[in-house]
Amino acid sequence: MTKAKIRYFFAYAFLILVSFISVFPLLWMLISATNTSLDVIRGKMSFGTALVDNFKQLVQTTQIGQALINSFRNAFVLTIMSLLVCSLAGYAFEIYHDKWKDGVMKLLLLSMMVPFAATMIPLFTWFGKMNLINTTAGFMLPSISTAFLIFLFRQSSRSFPYEIVEAARLEGMSEIRIFTRIFVPIMKPTYAAAITVTFMNAWNSYLWPLVILQDKKSQTMPILISNLISGYTINYGVLMLAVSISTLPTILIFFVLQKNFTEGITGAVK
Amino acid sequence: MKRKLLSVTLMIAMVACLFTGCSKNDGSSKTGSNNAGSKTSDQVTLTVWCWDPKFNCFAMDTAGEIYAKDHPNVKVEVIETAWNDIQTKLTTAVTGQSNTLPDIILMQDNALAKNIINYPDAFFDLTNSGIKFDQFASFKTALGTVNGKNYSVPFDNGAAITCYRTDILEQAGYTIDDFTNITWKEFIEKGKVVLEKTGKPLLSNQAGSPDLLMLMMQSAGAWVLDENGKPNFKDNAVLKEVIDTYVELEKSGVLVEVNDWDQYVSSINSTTVAGAMNGCWIIATVTSAADQSGLWGVTNIPKLSCAGATNYSSQGGSSWLVCANSKNKDVAADFLGATFGGSVELYETILPSSGALATYLPAGESAAYAKPQDFFRGDTIYLKITEYASKVPQVSYGVYNYEARDAIGTAITKIVAGTDYNTAISEAQKELEFQMGQ
Repeated sequence: MTKAKIRYFFAYAFLILVSFISVFPLLWMLISATNTSLDVIRGKMSFGTALVDNFKQLVQTTQIGQALINSFRNAFVLTIMSLLVCSLAGYAFEIYHDKWKDGVMKLLLLSMMVPFAATMIPLFTWFGKMNLINTTAGFMLPSISTAFLIFLFRQSSRSFPYEIVEAARLEGMSEIRIFTRIFVPIMKPTYAAAITVTFMNAWNSYLWPLVILQDKKSQTMPILISNLISGYTINYGVLMLAVSISTLPTILIFFVLQKNFTEGITGAVK
Repeated sequence: MKRKLLSVTLMIAMVACLFTGCSKNDGSSKTGSNNAGSKTSDQVTLTVWCWDPKFNCFAMDTAGEIYAKDHPNVKVEVIETAWNDIQTKLTTAVTGQSNTLPDIILMQDNALAKNIINYPDAFFDLTNSGIKFDQFASFKTALGTVNGKNYSVPFDNGAAITCYRTDILEQAGYTIDDFTNITWKEFIEKGKVVLEKTGKPLLSNQAGSPDLLMLMMQSAGAWVLDENGKPNFKDNAVLKEVIDTYVELEKSGVLVEVNDWDQYVSSINSTTVAGAMNGCWIIATVTSAADQSGLWGVTNIPKLSCAGATNYSSQGGSSWLVCANSKNKDVAADFLGATFGGSVELYETILPSSGALATYLPAGESAAYAKPQDFFRGDTIYLKITEYASKVPQVSYGVYNYEARDAIGTAITKIVAGTDYNTAISEAQKELEFQMGQ
């Protein structure tokens, strides 16, 4: 065996090992979803026959359908609104010139350093006074405009050819049309990245929905899973099935947009 | 131009729909969503936050059904909420001065004093509500009593028990009686024999978890905070004995440390260990291994050698509180008094299917509690546990109970790893004093 072959052998062996370690928790989650709680506890590592029973129990003891609808609606609406606001902001920060814009951008970036837990109680008090508790608007408003997304769109806009904007203006196109007809199609990869990040964050968000959506019918998937863990006896099979179901939409979104996500996050513009 | 105007109008309409159409706010917060008013015939919905659908939620739903027989206008709506989430929502609502709290909250006993003292205006004083507090185990009533006022209706029994695999004890030449009313010294000696003959440690415990230590402390009527709520670590002879006992348990191999709760449950169900010592709610975990039916036995815990030591203690447990800003607080108090504080029928109904054990002492006299349990070799374990609950020494957990427990948890990790007792305990006391702002 040549030196190069030995090097390849070890490289591939290492990559296979690391891939297995990465995929193992997901695999274990899926295996556990098909086993009884006792089998999971006893460390059974092969697929079982309890999937249907676990599903029946999950449907009977929780409102998983409602939680899925709630999570999907919240994540979908928030993603649309967030993209609308943040892409406009990111575009404006780069294309329009104002002496204050760098200062405002720095302030926005600084705001990323403040943990949400620190602002949660003042926000909650404020939203309570505005009668926004138990409303989708109450859930969305704090996350519609995020410094990260604005920064992402602003950075991507830097590689957006400014000459196109000038040419379009000369042709008499309105600013809105330049944004919707030229900027949006060119920035597709950035939008894909933003959709992935925002949808995942909204889908997995826990603390804010917990306090702002207190109605029984507003329960989201992360809160449903939290309730499944809080029992005195945890049914691990049912729990893993709920986690598997909850993971599916984010996996789906990620795989569909995977290619664009990588390009978008690095700020590439074709 | 018309098209542009139409587009803008449609966009505004869409955004407006998103905000208003998806809105769930029907103008009624949970608190007082139905004003009971003065008329008893008014429809009242009591909203309740509690966790575990098979246990607490089931008990509350059953109580609602029992109460509705005499009060058809009162409905109970249970909103399943994990305990940690209840604490977060409670803190947010009280600090944010919002009226989003429900009518009734279930609270872990360990956090009762902290929340009642920190948020004195958040909970309704039940002292003169007609609830017969003297009919509950006294240590449970004491946990929810602050400045002589009763704020909580005791529910879930946390009386400590030890479950043993009798078949494994028999292999070592012992019976369950050999482990009843014993001292920790005897427990360790017998545990060594069991380990030698069967290869099984008697107990498991999460590494760094203070639960077992606190259980031992309370069995002697002692605590890690004094009567003024100040740290009581240094020169605490009971704490010294507790830690020495734990270290000996661990060093002798009679107790094996595991990494987390899942491994703890696994060690019990997989027979890695021959026993489990915890609050009586651990029965639900033990009995989940249905194939081990008839192999388990239940008895009390070992006692320390110090003055005031007993074979009885408590771990965990929970109680019901009525929120002060509930518009239905009188109805809520009457409901709790008539059900959890007055209905043997309720406890008889919930015991067989949920295993929810009462601290309401008259419930112990019902036939359901005297029924032999096949899983525990036909023993009347529920009668046993009710009797244990009546003998648990009272202690005052104090406001900084969780912080004190965590400090002890850190100390025991260091001590087991070889740090000197005095050094570790001094550090724990300093850490707690820092957290208390002293």
